[in-house]
Amino acid sequence: MEQTPRAVDLPAKPFSLIAEVTHRCPLHCLYCSNPVEMKRAQEELSTEDWKRVFQQAAEMGVLHLHLTGGEPLARRDLAELIAAGRAAGLYVNMITSGVGLTEQRLEGLVQAGLEHLQLSFQDLEEVSADFIAGTRAHAIKLALVPILKRYDLAFTVNLVVHRLNLDRLEEFIALAEELEPNRLEIAHVQYYGWALKNRALLMPTEDQVRRSLPLVEAARNRLRGKIHLEAVFPDYFGSFPKACVGGWGRQMMLVDPIGEVLPCHAAAIIPGLVFDSVRDHELAWIWKESEAFMRFRGDAWMPTTCLECPRKERDFGGCRCQAFLLTGDPDAMDPVCSYSPDHGKLVDLRMSSPELLPIYRG
Amino acid sequence: MEISSVPRLASGCRLHATDDILLVPEGTLNLSGPAREILARIDGKRTVHAIVDDLLLQFEGANAEEVRQDVLQLLSRMRQRGVIRT
Repeated sequence: MEQTPRAVDLPAKPFSLIAEVTHRCPLHCLYCSNPVEMKRAQEELSTEDWKRVFQQAAEMGVLHLHLTGGEPLARRDLAELIAAGRAAGLYVNMITSGVGLTEQRLEGLVQAGLEHLQLSFQDLEEVSADFIAGTRAHAIKLALVPILKRYDLAFTVNLVVHRLNLDRLEEFIALAEELEPNRLEIAHVQYYGWALKNRALLMPTEDQVRRSLPLVEAARNRLRGKIHLEAVFPDYFGSFPKACVGGWGRQMMLVDPIGEVLPCHAAAIIPGLVFDSVRDHELAWIWKESEAFMRFRGDAWMPTTCLECPRKERDFGGCRCQAFLLTGDPDAMDPVCSYSPDHGKLVDLRMSSPELLPIYRG
Repeated sequence: MEISSVPRLASGCRLHATDDILLVPEGTLNLSGPAREILARIDGKRTVHAIVDDLLLQFEGANAEEVRQDVLQLLSRMRQRGVIRT
């Protein structure tokens, strides 16, 4: 007898708070995950707003604060924000391009309580790395690494991989290894936000993906005990969807630069969702009551196939933004799932076309 | 991991103030059994041996050999995960 899967339970509290403190950024990466329409600097939350949000997050039981952007260094009050996060009891991570980070400023950030810094690399050669970043950044990032090492700070190198650099993955990993980070992330581009505009250019070939997997596994084994490796698989090549952001409204809250609270980075593309603001509501109220967070929580929204599938407890129905982007219907099955009637669309999208030109922001 | 090793928490790893978890970059590790008591004694100066002795003082009647094995196993596993250095 087949067992009926249990209902998906509702989460008690979020695990992490992603604070997109600004959308301003010196880089113009082809794969930028920020929305196409960015929030303006004049509308950004104030220092006091953010401090209040961090306090509320800690009171709810949130453990991790991720300061990101845009480029968080564009905020002059960054050290104050870090100190407020730590004072509230949060673990403070920062994702940065490193552009504009002097040793003096870094020292201030570490003193304020920064615990972990993530730096991403676009390629191993300067020319192509800067081409992907849309600006001169590679040499600046490399120069920053020995400075980071002087401080008591966890350091992650993130390699963002796609068709333009996957053929050099082995050398790219070797570069990361030389930088001796505590953590190494190897992340395939995810096609949301600006990255979607460059999807055809960045989409790896089947062959590239196939060759990359054993390289990542070999690196994982080789580096065990020295560098902790985490890899993000390329969605479009999967047979089952990812538990996107750990499930909608289950693990994280993202506060954008103007204070609107989203269940994931890309949620703003889904038509009809209204995001409540930390300017009007307590974070705990938003977590429990905000319509945007309730929209795909649990399993009542799921198509029958998902509802009856035991995998729903693992993937929570996959990615809603992807379902919308690829089918036009945010309630549809995630096309990454091989049970989806739209799974065949991915086969077409996996065909990358080599003659495209990059599309840069602004 | 040897009994004479001096373990320390890697940069960016710390015990949560109240909960039984180790905060690490981008994540947490749940601590079960005596793990929190063991990690709380790591200061980058004490040897595994000294940590075991200290635990035996606090937990009277515990089997010394079992405690030693528990500590060595936990610390080895955590070193593999990159959150303990020696």
